[in-house]
Amino acid sequence: MTNEASLLDKYTSEVFAGMVAPVLEGMNISAAPADDPLVKEDVLFRMNTELKRALEKPASERRWVMVIDLRRCIGCHACTVACIAENKLPPGVVYRPVMIEEVGMYPNVSMKFLPRPCMQCENSPCTEVCPVIATYHNEEGIVVVDYDQCIGCRACMAACPYGARTFDFGQTYAEQLPVFEGAVVGGKTAAAYEHASQEYGEARPRNGKHESPVGNARKCHFCLHRIKDGMLPACTTTCIGRATYFGDANDSTSLVTELINKPNVIRLKEELGTEPRVYYIV
Amino acid sequence: MTEPTSKKQSFSRRDFLKLSGVTGAAAAFLGNMPKANKAIRNAMAAGEGNSFEAKPENQIYTVCLQCNTGCGIKVKLLEGMAAKIEGNPYSPWTLWPHPAYDTPVKDMATVEGGLCPKGQAGLQTAYDPYRITSVLKRKPGTKRGAGQWETISFEQAIDEVVNGGDLFGEGNVDGMKAVRALADAELSKEMKAAVQKIWDEKDAEKKKELVKEFQTEFKAHLDVLIDPEHPDFGPKNNQFMFVWGRMKGGREDIVDRFVKGGYGSINMNGHTTVCQGSLYFTGKAMSAKWNAEKASFDGGDKFYWQADTANSEFVIYVGSNLLDANYGPPQRAPKATDAIVNGRKFAVVDPRLSKIAAKAWKWIPIKPGGDAAMALGMIRWMLENEKYNKAYLAIANQAAATAAGEPNYANGSWLVKIKDGVPGKHLRASELGLLTPQTVQKDGKDVKIFVDAAGVEYPGDTPVALVAGIPTPINVLNAEAAAVIGDMFINQKVGEFDVKDGMQILLESAQEHTIAEWAEIAGISENDILVLVNEFTSHGRKAAVDIHRGPSQHTNGFYANNAWYIVNLLIGNFDYAGGTIKLSTYDRKGTKKGQPFPVLTMFGEEEMTAFGVDMIRTGVAYEKTTLFDGTYPTKRPWFPLASDVYQEDIPSIGDAYPYPIKILMTYMAAIPYSLPGGHTTIEILADPKKLPLFIASDIMVGETSMYADYIFPDLSYLERWEFHGSHPSVPWKVENFRNPAISIPGWPTVKVFGEEIAMSFESVFIAVAEKLELPGFGPNGFAEGVPYIRPEDLYLKQVADIAFGEKEDGSDSVPEADDEELRIFLEARRNLPPSVFDADKWKAAVGGDESLWRKVVYALNRGGRYEAFEKGYKGSKVGHPYGRLINLYQEKTATSINTMTGKPYAGYTKYIPAGLSSTGEEIKDTGYDFNLITFKTITMAKARTITNYWLLAAVPEGYLLINASDASKLGIKDGDMVRISSASNTAGEYDLKNGHKVPMVGKAKVSQGIRPGVVAFPLGFGHWANGSLDMEIDGQIIKGDSRRAVPMHANGAMRVDPVLGNVTLSDLAGGSAVFYDSKVKVEKV
Repeated sequence: MTNEASLLDKYTSEVFAGMVAPVLEGMNISAAPADDPLVKEDVLFRMNTELKRALEKPASERRWVMVIDLRRCIGCHACTVACIAENKLPPGVVYRPVMIEEVGMYPNVSMKFLPRPCMQCENSPCTEVCPVIATYHNEEGIVVVDYDQCIGCRACMAACPYGARTFDFGQTYAEQLPVFEGAVVGGKTAAAYEHASQEYGEARPRNGKHESPVGNARKCHFCLHRIKDGMLPACTTTCIGRATYFGDANDSTSLVTELINKPNVIRLKEELGTEPRVYYIV
Repeated sequence: MTEPTSKKQSFSRRDFLKLSGVTGAAAAFLGNMPKANKAIRNAMAAGEGNSFEAKPENQIYTVCLQCNTGCGIKVKLLEGMAAKIEGNPYSPWTLWPHPAYDTPVKDMATVEGGLCPKGQAGLQTAYDPYRITSVLKRKPGTKRGAGQWETISFEQAIDEVVNGGDLFGEGNVDGMKAVRALADAELSKEMKAAVQKIWDEKDAEKKKELVKEFQTEFKAHLDVLIDPEHPDFGPKNNQFMFVWGRMKGGREDIVDRFVKGGYGSINMNGHTTVCQGSLYFTGKAMSAKWNAEKASFDGGDKFYWQADTANSEFVIYVGSNLLDANYGPPQRAPKATDAIVNGRKFAVVDPRLSKIAAKAWKWIPIKPGGDAAMALGMIRWMLENEKYNKAYLAIANQAAATAAGEPNYANGSWLVKIKDGVPGKHLRASELGLLTPQTVQKDGKDVKIFVDAAGVEYPGDTPVALVAGIPTPINVLNAEAAAVIGDMFINQKVGEFDVKDGMQILLESAQEHTIAEWAEIAGISENDILVLVNEFTSHGRKAAVDIHRGPSQHTNGFYANNAWYIVNLLIGNFDYAGGTIKLSTYDRKGTKKGQPFPVLTMFGEEEMTAFGVDMIRTGVAYEKTTLFDGTYPTKRPWFPLASDVYQEDIPSIGDAYPYPIKILMTYMAAIPYSLPGGHTTIEILADPKKLPLFIASDIMVGETSMYADYIFPDLSYLERWEFHGSHPSVPWKVENFRNPAISIPGWPTVKVFGEEIAMSFESVFIAVAEKLELPGFGPNGFAEGVPYIRPEDLYLKQVADIAFGEKEDGSDSVPEADDEELRIFLEARRNLPPSVFDADKWKAAVGGDESLWRKVVYALNRGGRYEAFEKGYKGSKVGHPYGRLINLYQEKTATSINTMTGKPYAGYTKYIPAGLSSTGEEIKDTGYDFNLITFKTITMAKARTITNYWLLAAVPEGYLLINASDASKLGIKDGDMVRISSASNTAGEYDLKNGHKVPMVGKAKVSQGIRPGVVAFPLGFGHWANGSLDMEIDGQIIKGDSRRAVPMHANGAMRVDPVLGNVTLSDLAGGSAVFYDSKVKVEKV
């Protein structure tokens, strides 16, 4: 097995390896430097500082990218749950799953972990197929959904090669649970938090089956509402393995710029020409 | 870059809604919502929700309790509701390195630290619809566990549990008043002293005379005793027993104050042994302190060591699952992934491929229970190949350690007397005539000292080492005394004594088998041992073995842990960066000079002195008590080396051994669920004859509290106080403050001593104390005019102690909050009700001093006190070393008796097969061929996160992990439903004794990542209470939610001890409840 192939085998899923193998030809992965961004301050601090710097620029001059170091991903699902908690995602809606795959034969066996947010493609198949232009690139280049515009046709879901979109069927996790005043707290009082989403900086209490985002195809938006206030995406801050990095790739000194120019960086399904803004370190 | 697609303007759905007036209809719909829900929706609709997350006035820093790691958290508030939880950026648990403590709190408003999925899902614990808001009383006429309840007022409930009576139509029940027969604090003190005298007397006849003397001296008060023939059972007060599951500092301190100092019962027990008990008690044995005056060992510290993951060049993680559990992922994972990226190797020893194993250089799938064998194989190689730190291990006392610049020292060179081949006590210098006792005058008093031939004084008799062959007394503790560097590997006669040193005893134990044989016992290859030990001994002191539940929860757990610790000790890595380290916390009890509130001793009137044998027989040796008649085995085991033996609480009540219990109160305890073989406890809990009155504090009707007679609602972790402390892998000195971040809308309050406080765990104690006029509570609880009425009257004093620090002159204190920080503090708490937060009352609780109050505010604003990052280490060593004697040989252990066999425990590292009964016999469960083990997924804590639906979205249910080759033999395919059963639970089910039976059935997960012959399931799923079952309150059915009952849980398949019959297998030395030694059957259903 070549060095590249064995590295890929260790850190990526088989499906994933198939997606990226062509890109790696001739790439000298063993030259990947071992310098570690955690030496002086937590990398979350550095990224927070860089985020604030980027926010001082006009929006159109930023290029948000995400970098995920698969060597550091431990499959903990903190990002998945932080995203659900941040955006108050209902049952069935998930923006950032983490795929776990067991590989090998006992006792030579391992596990691969692959977080899969929306790739925020520059050439995004999903936006192309939307009949009502409810999904498009905002001025920072992020693929967003206008919930008011979306008619729930799900063409985008079918078009996305990464499976990054899920449909909101209007369920809640806890609100429907029993109420008994004076004995238990009850679903209605307890689950008010399910309405406290700030996605896109909009107030959208889940008032019933027919009000957006219910009935919409939903997806990751890099937590635009957090970015605007100087906070990193929820998946990034919560990542306990420090496997997720976020920042402005137009800033030549940013961590993400440093990372995406390393030789051991890949993107999923590069051959499709979707130009993802999510990079993986292997 | 792609040009942003221009958004085509058209008539949007929102415009339509605005024009059609549908928003009005929506508003009308909101009118039907409960108030809180409506407030949040209104706030969101009005745009107030916009950017609320980023404002410091909307953030309160507190501490997670979704597991016991205790990560600092930042709770983001919207109209007083917790809307999101993040990592507290000041906390070393969530950022590495953690930032400067004096960073202004407003600068941290948009900075967040890492947090695990459980931490992220915490809202669903706090805002659980099934949380109870009223005291529930078992409906009279119905059986315990029947799920039929009546709501009653707090006042009535307190009155009933205090005064007793015919509470359930089943006859009279003694209340807390009747059980508290001894209410005279002075008398309790005198009786305790008399009982101590009985215990200290070694002669059986004289002991009997002392009992007679006791009966004469206290003849007017014998009615307060449980049994005047056994005065050492203590007062009837001991028949009130308090048992807790998860409890941390602060609440632990009120329990101590209430149960012991107030009520006067000796019985308050934690749950240590269901976690990693033997690990704590191995730590205690290895840290037993030399008492120079008495020339014997006092108790050690109940604690343990872990690897310094951040700085180790090589770590062997043994049964230590730090990416999923293990105190805990947010603070250990970044260091482990740093090791991966930067090429610092680690190996994992575990029968199951854990996530850390998946990332490891090597995974060694050991046979469960084979730990000590593997470790002894490594030890043998290290000793025979001289790959141990000779210079360090020869250091025999503090003086030699100081001279060598070592932070600690071991007793490996101290001589041990061998009798009939069995190592016993250390040889004492006086036994060789090296020292002789003398009485001298010191400060006008006669003091007994020891003197050697040259006239050098010793504070007492001493142990002995050979120094260049010459027997030499060891002045152990005095850094100014003569340094002793001992000879090692001694096996000879000294004077009339056959002696060996600890190193020789260790060598002989390791040489019981060849390395190949040790490997075979451990179920691994010889090469596995050789490769690991070679790597381990190639990094100086920057290598470590990190152990946790894996080695610990076996019947041989104590010795397995000890063996691995000895591997560490042989390279001398204790207290070294990259080696083996321990935790350090600020003193929350005010015991340091200058600290403002010495809360432990602050009693407004004389406190009770609790005394007597405790219910689980841990505080005193059997042989000292009046129960000792020279015979073994005892009815149930005694635990001379452990405490908080959780699995013994309920079975001991069932057997009324050593005496009957009348009232049990439990707190945050899921006993039948979380204990191995826990099904055996249900029968006892459900039986009022065995347990006449059962009170529980819980946030809902849980697996234990479902059998209670009364359940008092408690606050969740986001609404209350605690001091979470630290964990061994954290080198910095810290303390974490859990403090109220929210209050549930409409949460009930109660009146105690005329003051309105939240209904809570604390309110039960304070209300009972008011009724019974217990010392330590009320307007003069702490001192004349210093009240203990509100919960924070205690907790804020403790925050003040921590904020003040540990230097008498106050130079260690935190800064005072400036006006801006004070404003943020007050505004962040603007939505808390006065029953929880009242700035004037909070300030009064720390004495009203403005400066101290501002320090308290400063510390609370940061959710804890965290030492500067650079203080964690001093050069190559840790900043807060353990710093004293480490017992390579354990005299105290060697002189303690196993009361089930009558034989002493071994004082040295030894291989004992796993899975033996309490009397040490092999258990042959023919037909049960799989070894069952457990593990954790990061999404579940054992007993309290099944209610978090967001976590179930990530990992929806539990399962049985089985090797593909085993599955194939049984015809089991991935996803098939399988039942687990064992010789002690042949039906493979939990019988809830209420008509319900819960089968131990779940999906098989066929995997290559588990050792063949071993099956495993993750803890935390398969609940049968916590809102999963229907219940009836005041005649109204509250439907259960089946999502909370997703399979599977199989603790009930774990082996019940065949001798005792109603308790799991246990490690009698270390106390552990045994999770990994049961044989089970797996059947497709």
